[in-house]
Amino acid sequence: MVKAKSLILNMVGLLVALIPLVPIGLLVALAFSESQVQPQGFTTKNFDFLKTGTLFANDPVYSKLYPNVYSVALNTFLLAVGNMLIVVLISSMAGYIISRYSFKGRSALLGSFLVIHGVPASVLLIALYYMLKSLGLLNTLLGVILVKVAVDTPLGVWVLKGFYDSIPWDIEIASLVDGASRLGAFRRIMLPLVAPGIFAVGLFSFLSGWGEYIFVYTFIQSSKNWTFSMLIQSLVGEMGGINLALIAALSMIYLVPVIILFVVGEKYLVRVTIGGIKG
Amino acid sequence: MVQRNIAKYTTMAIMLLPAAIIIIVFLIAPSILTILISLTNLDYRFRWEWVGLSNYYRFLSDPNAPIFIRNTIIFVAGTLTFNVGVGLLLALLSTHIHDTIGTFLRAVWYMPRVLPSVVWAFVMMWMFSPMDTGFLNSLLKYMGGKPVPWTFQYYWPFLFIVNGFIGCSLGMVIFSSAIKSIPQELIMAAKVDGASGLTIVRRIILPLIKWQIAFVVAYQTLSLLASFEYILLTLDGGPGYYSTEVLILQAYHLAFGQYLAAMRFGYAAVFVTILLVVGLVLSIVYWKVFRLKELMIEPKLE
Repeated sequence: MVKAKSLILNMVGLLVALIPLVPIGLLVALAFSESQVQPQGFTTKNFDFLKTGTLFANDPVYSKLYPNVYSVALNTFLLAVGNMLIVVLISSMAGYIISRYSFKGRSALLGSFLVIHGVPASVLLIALYYMLKSLGLLNTLLGVILVKVAVDTPLGVWVLKGFYDSIPWDIEIASLVDGASRLGAFRRIMLPLVAPGIFAVGLFSFLSGWGEYIFVYTFIQSSKNWTFSMLIQSLVGEMGGINLALIAALSMIYLVPVIILFVVGEKYLVRVTIGGIKG
Repeated sequence: MVQRNIAKYTTMAIMLLPAAIIIIVFLIAPSILTILISLTNLDYRFRWEWVGLSNYYRFLSDPNAPIFIRNTIIFVAGTLTFNVGVGLLLALLSTHIHDTIGTFLRAVWYMPRVLPSVVWAFVMMWMFSPMDTGFLNSLLKYMGGKPVPWTFQYYWPFLFIVNGFIGCSLGMVIFSSAIKSIPQELIMAAKVDGASGLTIVRRIILPLIKWQIAFVVAYQTLSLLASFEYILLTLDGGPGYYSTEVLILQAYHLAFGQYLAAMRFGYAAVFVTILLVVGLVLSIVYWKVFRLKELMIEPKLE
């Protein structure tokens, strides 16, 4: 009786686990579909754009409307990597100071990080637009990267502070006794010990930059600076009802790094989600 | 000693300043700037003219304002119910089955959170498309049924699902780690006393994780109030006259919409300022309620 109940519960669990995979499976089916609007048959023709990077290569009018897919991929990559490198660099330093030094305003600082993190940065778009315009950074990837970094840094600092907190003081003190300077101890002893935290924050900020839509959509006009999110959304808007298969194929290419990184680092990403709110 | 202090402060400054500067310039300053912009009639000409509180008076007499407020309440309440309810069910289910399946379930349900928003919105719009070519409708037709105008008729449930699949994983992760930390003796003792599974959930598990539930509710209320990305990507305030236009989406449309009426930054900033004030008040309340200060233990020594 108990066994049967447990078996049923496990079956239910397995079925429920498959639910979020349905949309992904449908997307893949659509990407390889002969029909342009529903999953039917099998073909790789929807991926023809991969040869030269030109969308609608057979259509002289449409092919000029959209940027080369490879330049779009490069922009997306630059945004993701730029965001990742800067966030990791500055939050691994700030997290260390906040974890190990006591100074005036420390808890106010930490508290403001928490409050800032709770309110989505999308509310600041109007002011940010005005600022980027004044700084001449509108319509540049650099402008988007800087805003993105500011949004992801509080979370990065908060998570890495948690990782530094969990390292015993004895290790650091031992290296200081051995004659290392504070900075030396940070570089040679502490950084390697929080490598999992750095990996987690790096993964999170890469994916966050890779998937960004609102900032790109709001701050970038010229299609030479487009990222995948812009290209896909503009195709959805222009021909949402006509060529879904092509959009699905593009989406699949867009998803490849996301799925790989998710499978590799899911545990670390969950840690960021919890760490971001619990310290 | 003095020398050591100088060295210490230099180290601190070098390591803390990059983060501090970027946060002050791109998060704190824009918050203040938004409030200032709401006191001007900044528009497409980008001329800075103070107009006092007239934008706020305009908001009070805006015949559409009650619609936006009502929509915001519906959106936040509905999505929140989905997030917490589904999150709780997933946490309970995944902690009461074989550990491998439970871990797999949580990993899969976490995935929508990392998917690029445009891809998620695209798949959802196609699945629930009101047209015959939409996935659900072609399935219905195949089984001999009639197509349903999903997003035209059931726009709120559609938005709860689109947002909820992203949001529910937060509750799921937090609740399941809380449930796992409940001592097994408590559950065992109840079982020995003959309590059913449902009674154990209601009388033991739920009361023990009530703080976590309260926390997720509080945290997500705040973030949903200012969330509009998935509405913008799917229904964009429609179908029809402002049927899903929430406050923050209206602010976005006023500032960056496609129409001639857009680029009204001054008036749009009023909406954002109201949300900022509500958000600030709520976070101060949460701060007190959840005693977040306890998380900030001072370092033991230097």
